Amino acid sequence: MEGLFGPLAVGCAVALLSALGVVLARRPIYAAIFLLAHSLSLAGLFALLAAAMIAVGQVIIYSGAIVVLFLFVVTLLPSGGRELAPTSGRVMAASVAAGGLLIALFVGFGGPLPPTTPAATAAVALGVPAVGHALFGSLLVSFELTAPLLLVAIIGAVVIWRRHEPESRTAPRPVRATEPRRLVIHR
Amino acid sequence: MSAEVLVLCTSAGLFAIGAAGALLHRHPVAMLMAIEIMLNAANLLIVLAARVRGGADAEAAALVVLVVAAAEAVIGLALALALFRNKTRPDVDQASELRG
Repeated sequence: MEGLFGPLAVGCAVALLSALGVVLARRPIYAAIFLLAHSLSLAGLFALLAAAMIAVGQVIIYSGAIVVLFLFVVTLLPSGGRELAPTSGRVMAASVAAGGLLIALFVGFGGPLPPTTPAATAAVALGVPAVGHALFGSLLVSFELTAPLLLVAIIGAVVIWRRHEPESRTAPRPVRATEPRRLVIHR
Repeated sequence: MSAEVLVLCTSAGLFAIGAAGALLHRHPVAMLMAIEIMLNAANLLIVLAARVRGGADAEAAALVVLVVAAAEAVIGLALALALFRNKTRPDVDQASELRG
């Protein structure tokens, strides 16, 4: 893994810078573009770490589906998604929390790294067949539970959207006979 | 500094950046993007552990995390749209009431 230090360093730098861009961008449309760069750099990192299947999944699911979903939602938001400038107290709280979290993580990670197992030095056993065996073997329950999770997410999204509709579109208002006829333009 | 430590520090940094972004923003979509960064940081750590320990289970778990992230994005974005379809300013601080 020592020969990979240069490409890994480049990928880590791109991932960190694009994450900073996501957080610091003033308009959500720019943040979504930075999120696209971030997910692509992470896919590159996964490929460098010999996890080709995760890299492909990252490109398809994150860059292909989630970022495009974010872009759609940003275009649907009022006022183009522009938000108010953060207050100084909010900036202070965010920086304090991030610093504290970083210190806590480094303290937690501070112990010696576990010794590398012989299987890792070969790094050939982590192909698609091995991941498939794990998915349908030891992780079968959680893998199968992702199917109802996605179904519930779809139904939940539709229910949340329909509940906040101002008027029901399925039941039109009855027109009284005494009322004069008017031209009604439905949106 | 070995490559493992580099990726470990990157993962911790990404998690801290995501947490700062989730606290900094008032826009629900920007908060969701910061939370996605935190999920990505955790996924990077899982893949690094799979590489160091040589286990395929961790890589499969990373795939499951990707699917969970997709479901979370769907629900979160639907909530953001439903909350702010009638408001001109997208601000999560305005949504302080929970009603069934």
